[in-house]
Amino acid sequence: MTANLVNVLMGGVFHAAILFLVAAGLQLVFGVQKIFNLACGSFYALGAYTGISAVAYFTGHGGPPILFVVPLAAGGLAVGLVGLVVERGLLRFVYDRDETFQLLLTFALVLMLEDVIRLIWGSAPASTGGLYLAYGQARLLGATVPVYNLIVIAASLSIALGMGFLLTRTAFGRIIRAAADNREMAEALGVDMRWVYARVFTLGTMLGTLGGALVIPATAAMSEMGIELIVEAFAVVVIGGLGSMRGAFLGALVVGVLRSVAISVYPELEMLLIYLIVIAVLLWRPRGLFGAATA
Amino acid sequence: MATTRRDFLKVAGVAATVGAVGFPAVARGQAKPGVPSDPVKIGILAIRAGIAAPVGQAGLRGTEWWVERVNKAGGILGRPVQLVVEEESTPKDTVERYRKLILQDKVEVVIGGISTGVTLALGPVAEEMEVPWLSWDGTTQKGVEETMPNPKWAFRSVDNEVEAIVAGQLTPKYFKGVKTVAGIGNDYSYGHDCWETYQAVLKRYIPDVKFVLELFPKLGVTDFTSHIAAIQQAKPDLLMCSFWSGDATIIMKQAAAVGLFKSMKGVFTTAGGVHDSLKKEFTPEGLLLGYNTMYFDDPKGSPLLKQFVRDYKTKYDGYPPYECDHAYFNIESYKAAVEKAYATAGKWPSKVEVVRALEGIEVESLSGKRSWRPDHVQMCNFYQGVTTHKNSYDFVTINPIEVVSTKIAMKPAGSKLIEWINSWKI
Amino acid sequence: MRTPLALGVVSAAILVLPLVVPPYHATLMLPFMAYGVVLLGFNLLFGYTGLVSFGHALFIGIGAYAGAVLTTKLGVRHMELILPVAALAAALAAAPVGALCVRYVKIYFGMLTLAFGMVFYTFLLKFYRLTGGDEGMRMLRPSLFGSEWAGFNKTAYLVGPYYYFSLAVLVVATLVMWRIVGSPFGLCLKTIRDNPLKAESLGVSVPRYRWYAFMISAVYAAVGGALLAPPTGNVDPTLAYWTHSGNVVFMVLLGGFASFFGPLLGAFAFIFLQDTVMSVFPYWRLIFGAILAFIVIVAPGGLMGLFARRGPVEVSRR
Repeated sequence: MTANLVNVLMGGVFHAAILFLVAAGLQLVFGVQKIFNLACGSFYALGAYTGISAVAYFTGHGGPPILFVVPLAAGGLAVGLVGLVVERGLLRFVYDRDETFQLLLTFALVLMLEDVIRLIWGSAPASTGGLYLAYGQARLLGATVPVYNLIVIAASLSIALGMGFLLTRTAFGRIIRAAADNREMAEALGVDMRWVYARVFTLGTMLGTLGGALVIPATAAMSEMGIELIVEAFAVVVIGGLGSMRGAFLGALVVGVLRSVAISVYPELEMLLIYLIVIAVLLWRPRGLFGAATA
Repeated sequence: MATTRRDFLKVAGVAATVGAVGFPAVARGQAKPGVPSDPVKIGILAIRAGIAAPVGQAGLRGTEWWVERVNKAGGILGRPVQLVVEEESTPKDTVERYRKLILQDKVEVVIGGISTGVTLALGPVAEEMEVPWLSWDGTTQKGVEETMPNPKWAFRSVDNEVEAIVAGQLTPKYFKGVKTVAGIGNDYSYGHDCWETYQAVLKRYIPDVKFVLELFPKLGVTDFTSHIAAIQQAKPDLLMCSFWSGDATIIMKQAAAVGLFKSMKGVFTTAGGVHDSLKKEFTPEGLLLGYNTMYFDDPKGSPLLKQFVRDYKTKYDGYPPYECDHAYFNIESYKAAVEKAYATAGKWPSKVEVVRALEGIEVESLSGKRSWRPDHVQMCNFYQGVTTHKNSYDFVTINPIEVVSTKIAMKPAGSKLIEWINSWKI
Repeated sequence: MRTPLALGVVSAAILVLPLVVPPYHATLMLPFMAYGVVLLGFNLLFGYTGLVSFGHALFIGIGAYAGAVLTTKLGVRHMELILPVAALAAALAAAPVGALCVRYVKIYFGMLTLAFGMVFYTFLLKFYRLTGGDEGMRMLRPSLFGSEWAGFNKTAYLVGPYYYFSLAVLVVATLVMWRIVGSPFGLCLKTIRDNPLKAESLGVSVPRYRWYAFMISAVYAAVGGALLAPPTGNVDPTLAYWTHSGNVVFMVLLGGFASFFGPLLGAFAFIFLQDTVMSVFPYWRLIFGAILAFIVIVAPGGLMGLFARRGPVEVSRR
């Protein structure tokens, strides 16, 4: 039945839209700084909780509920600036270290952020209540789809296009790609890597926090949501190829849709499937779909 | 070095405990004859992180409320109560904290324990350490049959399938014409046990019922759109869901977004755990909703319950879930047991005497009368009902309310669950 | 390296500890000894071969579950039998997993091991009819040195025969590892870590030697895992979760990966730190994260790096 197919696909694409945002942040940071940010899930969680608080503040002070997306996205983006603090305050000390230490520093961040979130927001699940349904539903080929989901998918797509534009058409984008390809050459050509790193990491973080904020009306913010997400985000970048933005996009689609299909066809596989795919990709084509060739 | 560390720990432990409990007003120096005057130390195991953190928090809050009131009234037999709180996390780490409470902090009793893996590990340890352990929650069939067949020191919670049994008994009463059923639960023992139990019960009432789909997303999943799509595809007459945390809210929201419950009935056995997040905007009327052992808005509720709900709202700006009742009952029953044993012994009772006094004891808990069966299992009432929007809150409540006692809904001592269900006379 | 005198003092202290220290602290030494074994093996892979595994909890889990299966399902209670079986199970698992993983380095190795670890975790959780799922499996009290120690209650058993048994295992494990790192094999590993190309040119097969190191570290992890289980009495999937692997890495860094005894110090420090902080401060993860960050940034050589009078620890990229 087309309605069922649409439901399965839309579910997968919605999930992929969120995954893409987090994965794009991961890719950006890895591509330029060669750091795999384990804390991307924690930033996602941070964006989620901040988004809820922003919406609560907005509606509590008379803001019309129909506009809730505005404080939501704004809150999600604003808290992404934490990335700047993290980058300047912690990460920059380990740029010349072995990758392992950088990875471990991001693991330390995971631990810290988990408790920071709990300190600020407590451990009870938080949500934006019924605002999810504020935009109503649409009928798509016989299936009912919440309009909010469509908005998020559209937003994610625009951001993907925006990122593509940023990377290929702007000076900053060119610098990012140059730094990703060959850092020393870029530095030799006069690029101030400190500035680049700071902005790239902040941008990467903001993508993650925005993703967390945007997903929240459809779900709820729960303790340890970040730790759960890292595994999926990790699958996305492996499939797409470390460091590739197109890889993040396609990888997210693959993971999102495959998961959705697995749930409706063979639910027992749901969890295992992701890891098996990751292992398979890492073994047969470690650079993923679009990644650069690696050692 | 060991001495100074121990002293430091003692001081830090007391400081932390006092900090944790707030500074209870204690009527000191009123200890009864034969009773030591120093505080009675009670160990508490509460989950602080992860999915079940809100449950642990609710239990702790219920306990702290009890402690404040009891200490204001003079404590237990005049001894002030001092809580020593440790975190319940993984089974291995929690067993270590348990040992610490007993060997290091020398608590008189340990109360707490929610997750099934942890309680399963704690049972044998409690028996070995010979200190009473009263569990808030988390007992499964395996725990009953394998690890703690005849506990001496461990006091188990209610069987965790009871709410599925109650829901199974109420389903044919409220939903006529159900022929096909789908189930969704968390992918661990509780989710599986609930589904198995619900199926067994339903089959007794509707022998030709068909179970068309079962889904077990793991705990912590935050997106059920694909699961809902699968459920829609299966077109059941009824969906049974045993979620008890934030995921219940999420699935309710996502189901409302596609109008799932317009085309099928819904049974939420345990979503009462997050009842005040089930907002009217996305939670329809007409669903069967379970509140475990405590329904905060019970019109027949005692003044104790009403006071608790009031205080909870004032302090935490929310409405209490059922774990508060488990926690309250456990610590209240301990006090009652101590007092009962004191009446015969004339002095502060030994741990063995406390255990003996606990068996069969009945106390007034937040939800009404609750008791300990002689085989160390809790007895109480379960509250389930049909959701309604007719209230003054922004979330759903239930009306009518069914109150089902564990006398009917929990298997008797020594019997096996499925056999017992199949032996009912319908 | 510690002087023989320091070593002697520490050994004497550990030997008499259960007799002088309160029972609770004595029981805390048990996970220290178990993790000590795990970390000795882990550091062979990390410190000496330069590979960070984020999935070592997989082998800890294998060891623990081996013990559980043997005592509850197969009726085998002799710890002397359980340990070799755990070691064998780990070797059998590590052979294919290692063969696949060691072809990759750095991030990829870490990610691949993480994925394998989580596959095992998922397996333990999902196949609950086999493994007990989230409830796990019991591990019954094993017999040590041939005796059941039936007259001892659990606590006396743990701080008595079990303590000394674990200590014996730790000592043997340490001695064996000492021989390994001092052998030509150990030297090859160090060469591979520092300069893989040079190693290849000298005729050392880099993937093969990494594979050996991987398997040895897996065996150690399983033995440690089997030692971890009896005090708890139950094994469950959280033993294989990736954050447990993360703790292992944390311990090694805390103690100092560049020295032989660093990992043991790290295990000790971690256990006691966790015990102290957890009781006092509910937000202990914040403290631990901060400590880890501090170590990574300021003191990558860990505690041993602070004590030892060696040169700066080699941590940079090039």
